Amino acid sequence: MKSIHLPIAFFALTVAIALVVPLVLLGDFRADLGVGTLSLLLLVGIFILLVAGVPLGFATGFLGAIIIWLNFGEPGLGLVMQRVYDLVVTHAIIAVPFFIVMASLLERSGIAKDMYDALNVAMGKTRGGVAIVTTVMAVIMAAMSGIIGGEIVLLGLVALPQMLRLGYNKHLAIGTICAGGSLGTMIPPSVVLIIYGLVTETSITKLFTASFIPGLMLAGTYILYIVIRTRLNPSLAPLPEESGVDVEQLDVNSRMELVLNLTPFVIGFACAVVVSFLGFGRTEQIATLIFSSATTALLLVAWLQRTDDYPIAKGLLPPLIVVDLVLGSIYGGVTGYAEAAAMGVVASLLLIWVRSELSTVMVLEGLEQTFRSVGTILWVTFGATVLAGAFSLSGGNRFVANAIFGLDVAPIVIILVMMCIFFILGMFMDWIGIVLLTMPVFMPIVKQLGYDPIWFGILFSVNMQIAFLTPPFGSAAFYLKSVAPPEIDLVTIYRSFGPFILLQAMILAVLVAFPQISLFLVR
Amino acid sequence: MDDRAKALVESKDPIRGIWAYVLAGPDSPRVTVYDRVVTSLSRVMMFLILAGVFVTFFEVVMRYMFASPTLWVNELTLWLGSIVYLAAGLYTMQRRAHIRITAVYDIVSPNVRLFFDYLAIFVLVVYAVLMVIGGYDVAWEAFITWERLGTIFDPPVPATMKPLVLIITCLVALGAVNNLLVDWYGRGTRNPDWAEADHNEGVAGLVDSKTTEESKPGQKHR
Repeated sequence: MKSIHLPIAFFALTVAIALVVPLVLLGDFRADLGVGTLSLLLLVGIFILLVAGVPLGFATGFLGAIIIWLNFGEPGLGLVMQRVYDLVVTHAIIAVPFFIVMASLLERSGIAKDMYDALNVAMGKTRGGVAIVTTVMAVIMAAMSGIIGGEIVLLGLVALPQMLRLGYNKHLAIGTICAGGSLGTMIPPSVVLIIYGLVTETSITKLFTASFIPGLMLAGTYILYIVIRTRLNPSLAPLPEESGVDVEQLDVNSRMELVLNLTPFVIGFACAVVVSFLGFGRTEQIATLIFSSATTALLLVAWLQRTDDYPIAKGLLPPLIVVDLVLGSIYGGVTGYAEAAAMGVVASLLLIWVRSELSTVMVLEGLEQTFRSVGTILWVTFGATVLAGAFSLSGGNRFVANAIFGLDVAPIVIILVMMCIFFILGMFMDWIGIVLLTMPVFMPIVKQLGYDPIWFGILFSVNMQIAFLTPPFGSAAFYLKSVAPPEIDLVTIYRSFGPFILLQAMILAVLVAFPQISLFLVR
Repeated sequence: MDDRAKALVESKDPIRGIWAYVLAGPDSPRVTVYDRVVTSLSRVMMFLILAGVFVTFFEVVMRYMFASPTLWVNELTLWLGSIVYLAAGLYTMQRRAHIRITAVYDIVSPNVRLFFDYLAIFVLVVYAVLMVIGGYDVAWEAFITWERLGTIFDPPVPATMKPLVLIITCLVALGAVNNLLVDWYGRGTRNPDWAEADHNEGVAGLVDSKTTEESKPGQKHR
């Protein structure tokens, strides 16, 4: 064992020494490397460091600093701190910890479980109903948080046991959970889109607007697929009476439920009308609509805690409050997304409090998880910004762009090649690594070809949906595995993803072919 | 948070509970002074996130309910946020949770793994040193002249954050050395509260990471 791997170690050591010794010996050494050699060295260096398990953020930062030193000597090194500092004092990033804290608080409350029960009561009795409910719930949860992990874990805890108990085909059940759970990065608010917007200097609000319809298209395709497959082959999703499982019957007062769910919005609308008669502008009207409906809904939730009569309203109103506040204020132009995120956190805290689930331990755990996630996401960004700065300052971007334009192929072929690169990288890497390593090089090319960066961002995030599912390192599988029953192994999980990956690829093709689907809301 | 810390926090009122949590020490098998300091500091820093949330919420309320938007909220959240991003990296290092690709790392022999760890430290130290060489003058200058943002609220963001970028990057590099000593050479005192059972939860982090969280390389063969 040892003898096989030692040569690799020596090889890596030699390369590392070869990289550094000239620097140490020669001090203010400037190598007049051609850009081509530099790009090649960079690729080799990053490959070696990543394979050796060096944290991504440090590997990229190290290579960036080395490149600057090689090209510009000591005076250029000021750029290293400057790049990191510029990123640290970017106001837009504050939305990242806010959205993560919101997600980690909601995930520790019983809100998701109640929502699932409510949706089940409403539509669980149809053919394939529980799978459809799972997808719908995934969409609502995606609109509440911007990160997957927790979502898949929750769906795996809540929906998987029930689908297996009802005798659903396990591939269908697993695929639905993981594909649906990954929607969190597609449907706004999404941390992937925030980071993409920061790296490519694209408007994040526009990205959020543009990604909405493609996200719903993905979810719609999943639902359509479930309906068609279960119609063609009913044994995939037995009805409760067929599988002989007792499902508790609840008497639902559907008219009252509907009234309860609509009340906040009717009241909000009434308040907005009053405000408009008082002569306030459009933004104030929308703000009134959002805030008064959220407040009413919060009071209703507080009241619903004392009664068990209206499970649907009790389950659906809390997520509606959060979605209403966060997406309503972003799309209504009431606040920026960072402020919307802050309101979402406050609303989640209030919701958890009126549901009497708030505890010190819960808040502390949520903060701890957020802190760690922020550290992992942002420190990768720090390193990558150094590398991107160094590479473009050394003329690397121009070199790659010229090389690609020299190929003289149709622009759409270049886009397709980029999609293939995303797909292949997606099998091995996180979205964060992919966005930070590729975008500084790809984005100038995309712009020069005359394509819209917003459209490209949407394509990228659909690609990342695929990346979450593709073996050998599709993270969705690991999240589900951590909560699935032991007899479900990773191979089963990955095999279930097949049809869903095809569906995603189909949507991706549609979005490439028809950019207006992503862009008509933005323009 | 481990079970003991949880019980400790639950048994007290919120303020004392939080204080107990801050002092509880890291949730890992071996603990050095560095680990303790970083953990306690991070557990205080976490609350800056909540502070940022409430300040931003206050701004929205002032703007829409009282029609008097504040001048200081944006810059204050910017400042709080930048401290959080930097400090979080330190905590992430202590938890061994920085994103890395462990596919090869996990299958090679311990010797190679040790070599890889040394390589990671080498990379991080060179990065930190080069950053300090290039940024020292600028950071010192900003600190000495107490450089401010030049707005109405005028917080000393450059004066504090430029040095902090350098300091924290160096501390993270120190953290990597500390982790190596703890994981491979058994430095630090044993943590009596640490139980293997608390740590079998699988992948629990929120980050969509393809890497196993908190891999503890030394543990497998100690």
